[in-house]
Amino acid sequence: MARPSMDRIDARAKVTGAARYSADHKLPGMVHGHLVTSTIARGRVVSMDLDAARAAGGVVEIYTPDHRPAFQGALTGLAAVFAETRPPLADREVHYHGQIVALVLAETVEQARDAAALIRVTYEAQPPNSSFEDAKEHAVSPPSVPGLPLGVPIKEPENVDIKAALAASEVTIERTYEIPPRHHSMMEPHAAVAVWQDGRLTIYSGTQGPAAHAMELSGVLGVEQADVHVISPYVGGGFGGKAFTWAPAMLAAAAARELGRPVKVVTGREQLFTVTGHRAASSQTFALGARRDGRLNAIEHATISQSLGEDPGYRTTPKYYAAPNVHISMKITPGLDLPTATIMRAPGDESGSFALECVMDELAEELGMDPIELRMRNYLESTLKGKLPYSSKHLDECYRVGAERFGWSRRGERPGAVTDGEWQVGMGMATAVLDAGRAPTTVRVAFRPNGTATVGNATSDAGTGMWTVMAMTGARALGLPADRIRPALGDSALPFAGSSDIYGAVGSAATATVTPAILTAAREAIAKLAEHAATAEGSPLRGADDVRYAEGRLTGGGKAVTFGELLTLTGTAEVGAQGTSADLDTTHAYASYAAHFCEVRVNRWTGEPLLSRFTTVVDAGAILNAKTARGQITGGVLFGLAAAMCEEGRVEGATGRISNANLADYLLPVNADTVEFDVHFLDHPDTRLSPTGARGIGELGTVGAAAAFANAVHNATGRRVRTLPITPDKLLA
Amino acid sequence: MEEQSQDDGVSRRGFLLTSAAAAALAATAENPRPAAAAATAAPAEVVEVALEVNGKARTLALDPRVTLLDALRERLDLTGTKKGCDRGQCGACTVHVDGRRVLSCLTLAAGLGGKAVTTVEGLAEGDRLHPVQRAFVACDGLQCGFCTPGQVMSAVALIEEGHAGSEAEIREYMSGNICRCGAYQQIVQAVRMAKEEA
Repeated sequence: MARPSMDRIDARAKVTGAARYSADHKLPGMVHGHLVTSTIARGRVVSMDLDAARAAGGVVEIYTPDHRPAFQGALTGLAAVFAETRPPLADREVHYHGQIVALVLAETVEQARDAAALIRVTYEAQPPNSSFEDAKEHAVSPPSVPGLPLGVPIKEPENVDIKAALAASEVTIERTYEIPPRHHSMMEPHAAVAVWQDGRLTIYSGTQGPAAHAMELSGVLGVEQADVHVISPYVGGGFGGKAFTWAPAMLAAAAARELGRPVKVVTGREQLFTVTGHRAASSQTFALGARRDGRLNAIEHATISQSLGEDPGYRTTPKYYAAPNVHISMKITPGLDLPTATIMRAPGDESGSFALECVMDELAEELGMDPIELRMRNYLESTLKGKLPYSSKHLDECYRVGAERFGWSRRGERPGAVTDGEWQVGMGMATAVLDAGRAPTTVRVAFRPNGTATVGNATSDAGTGMWTVMAMTGARALGLPADRIRPALGDSALPFAGSSDIYGAVGSAATATVTPAILTAAREAIAKLAEHAATAEGSPLRGADDVRYAEGRLTGGGKAVTFGELLTLTGTAEVGAQGTSADLDTTHAYASYAAHFCEVRVNRWTGEPLLSRFTTVVDAGAILNAKTARGQITGGVLFGLAAAMCEEGRVEGATGRISNANLADYLLPVNADTVEFDVHFLDHPDTRLSPTGARGIGELGTVGAAAAFANAVHNATGRRVRTLPITPDKLLA
Repeated sequence: MEEQSQDDGVSRRGFLLTSAAAAALAATAENPRPAAAAATAAPAEVVEVALEVNGKARTLALDPRVTLLDALRERLDLTGTKKGCDRGQCGACTVHVDGRRVLSCLTLAAGLGGKAVTTVEGLAEGDRLHPVQRAFVACDGLQCGFCTPGQVMSAVALIEEGHAGSEAEIREYMSGNICRCGAYQQIVQAVRMAKEEA
């Protein structure tokens, strides 16, 4: 069966510059906002000299902690856990370097920017407590958050004595892995254009979840959710950083209300590192106990992180390998004078998979066993807790096919065995497991007189391909070519069911969530259309009792009409219906899988590790659009590799300042750092998860990629680097 | 509106004027249109710049602090060119000035008198996409699309520069444009496809 593949329908708008992102909107009378951020990490604002800024041309207003636009409430829902709960400009206290201390509003971008530079702030500074490294020894158990499993210890069995189990194992190893903070660094900075009319807010603000964004803004602004209209058809990358509402959007909305004028706030690149969230640093210690034959007897996984958002224990360890004794725990370091941590692509999964898949490699080495063989000996058939079977798991096939495609048999068993001139060549592999799921959601499908059909849901497409998958799924459900489907997303006024689906494109669940609801809504819409054909005045099929719909045509009573003709004849603007997908079958557990294979070349003299090959074999259910799915995997893999290759937020302990808060010093992979990835999809539709059979892939590539790289570096050089990123200094030391 | 005139035969010869100089020159044949004060705010100085943007003559009266990027986005409503960092570090704002790729966030508009600027909006001929644009669509050389205008402008230039000879060369010469979504291999494929068409 040929796998469906279609060009992105939003590609034309994106390659011509026609796609309008948040900051591309310009409204009559709009003023431009520029943020001023603190230059200390802890203390308070004593005074602010605003005279020069006020006197500068074009300045309309300056908001400060002493004169701020009104906020009536706080963030609600998950944002209260994963975003900054303290409103911007709340008071004079400074809790991190780069905290917003003023918002300058002026007639032009330049006037706002330059007036902001004229503001003089006097601080009473205290020594900051900004070092995660120092805080680790004072880490505490996190408070439990109702409804959230994060941070809660996991023990299997409940009365496990993990130390005794480890001690009773034939082989034990214990290793600690460190990952620095990372920043989403999506190419589009957070920006918002806000305008109020008759007590209602319209805000152009890039978000992964338009409905959640509306809910969160309504709470902060003290208005009804229905009175906040979020418009976000194009989002310049999210990766979790645009899942929740951050200060720039709040300030744009509140300032626009105070001023009675539209307000645009665009966050500066350096400011993004501090006024929006990041992935918290983490430190993980794994202790593994195993038999000589490779069977795991005990897994102890202890994590310390800045916040609950990065919980590798819960996310990772119960989902990879079978072991009779497991103990997972987490501590956090609250009260650090650091910017707020949030979720970032594969939160917990990325960090957890790095540590677990590295320690498994280390155990394989200890046992003198092939790393794939070690994994197969501990293959997990059902969930650790509750022993639920997995709906559709073909990870073994991923290993087998991946090893064959990659040429795993050519790997040198002994580290450092393979050289090519001055290059040491190594191969490594790692597993990726990512929980799959979906939320019930509501989609509206409607037929229109021009022969097109709309398919709408309040989800988002930040580059995932959702526009196209909605069109393809609508086409399949209605028996129409995809170019006659008009998808709609990125708008809080579109349908959603109101449960966790309000968060839109998060957790790699958007495709699995939205596509089954499209099938349901299409069935409802077809029923409505048939009824319309049989009853509406002007319908050629009126009175027929055998109306049928197929491929855009209705037949009945011996007559036939296209739906476009029908709606034209009956003078109807549209006929449509909403449909809500069924609840998830909870008798099974769901996950996506991949096996990653990586080859690196490390220069013997400079220590520079270069990526030279990468193969990944993916078991993610049905692939609905091979073209965009490939991009999700290649991009996801690179996102994960970047943690190993170069990415690192560097916090100066003494000042709390992020010393590399820009795109020249915060290193992201560029084109020359990468190679062509070999991506292979297994096609095993997961029809227990949903009728479309698609599981999530947005984060899957990211999971495990760093471990595959690190394991390859070890195979090349014999060096285990357990602190990311793997920079030449660590290989030369 | 700061934009004063377009498409009406204004000389394309570049000239920079302070407001005082504009007044002095107001009556001369060289400068038939003296700079007016900006509609809303009154910057200390106004610079008048005549340049060509996507084949059209434009004359702008600008605050001298205005970058080419902000001139395009805020004054000419050409928002296809993106502001990713405003520091010359990401490449999202790449445009062509007299056929050369430049970072518009690091280029002051006031210095561009007489120059010809091409943005992503200026590549297609009507509905017919430029070969590079077509190749980006066909090869899926984009995801979120925010870096795409800069990638496309760099790709057009590097093919014209003769720097699309091998995969390694393409990767090197495309490395000034960051794509956080990681569409690099699809971008390389697109450049190769477009080069073969060219």
